[in-house]
Amino acid sequence: MIASVAVRGERILENVEGGAMGPCNHEWSICNVRHGYFVEEGCFECGARLSFFSAEPVPPIDKYREGRHYWAYLGSFQTVKFDLKCRACAGIVDLNDVNGLMLSECTDRDCQVGALVHQQGPDSLVYVALCPNTSHPTGKCVSSEGIEALNQYFRAKLAPVGRKVTIVPCKLCNSIDKCRGTSIVDVGLTDIQ
Amino acid sequence: MKVSELAQKTGLAAINEYKDREIERVYISDMVSDLIASARTNSVVVTLQTHKSLIAAANLAGAAMIVIVNGRKPSEDVVALANRTGIGLFSYDLDSWAFAKKLVNLGFE
Ligand SMILES: [Zn+2]
Ligand SMILES: [Zn+2]
Ligand SMILES: [Zn+2]
Ligand SMILES: [Zn+2]
Repeated sequence: MIASVAVRGERILENVEGGAMGPCNHEWSICNVRHGYFVEEGCFECGARLSFFSAEPVPPIDKYREGRHYWAYLGSFQTVKFDLKCRACAGIVDLNDVNGLMLSECTDRDCQVGALVHQQGPDSLVYVALCPNTSHPTGKCVSSEGIEALNQYFRAKLAPVGRKVTIVPCKLCNSIDKCRGTSIVDVGLTDIQ
Repeated sequence: MKVSELAQKTGLAAINEYKDREIERVYISDMVSDLIASARTNSVVVTLQTHKSLIAAANLAGAAMIVIVNGRKPSEDVVALANRTGIGLFSYDLDSWAFAKKLVNLGFE
């Protein structure tokens, strides 16, 4: 079923699997590009981590108590957020729950991501879509619609150049802190070495 | 123009083993995250960055070639990742503008 709601005159697809209106062979393109900071915070007391996107001109550096957590700033990187829009049906997939993409270098075969990395051919790489709360206290991660659209977008884009990527949600990692990888973020120019 | 031809005409020596793809356009940026949203496939990416995230992003962008300017050299793990993606990795002694002028002279717009 396609459930859609009108937001700013555009349809947001809640489910892009097709259905009553017939499936669309989505032709995704990037839209709503936002520049900002990927800010990471950690809890002094329990070690939990969270990250969020800030579009402020400078990243917020705060220490604050929230319930049993005491959050402190760990670091920030410049990054870009975007959504995907279909040229054919004009549907938009909101990727606000994607805080970044990480190229997986996981070698742990007991980890689902590591197992997937191990299965890839020479022309293929696995990327992990990072959600805002990588410790997943509520089980919530990047939406399955978002993951599906990201896979469709990158596969269509890269197939003509003979490359393949697979995007997976970060909840597939055994532990995101142990799952090795390279996040696509920009370190400050002063950190360039 | 192929990667190898562009390299030869601009006097660059390859740092890695790459796939000799056709280059159709130029993208100049020192922001790695920007590549995913802005660079199109079959680009030569001209940049100051040398971090591994540059290759991770250029792969998603479908880039064919990366020219790192100001004589900066990537580390071994970056070269190894570039080999996996088939993207041609090169280092150029002068700045982005000097390399951009060479590209314009070769007919890139
Ligand atoms: Zn569509
Ligand atoms: Zn805590
Ligand atoms: Zn997640
Ligand atoms: Zn893992």
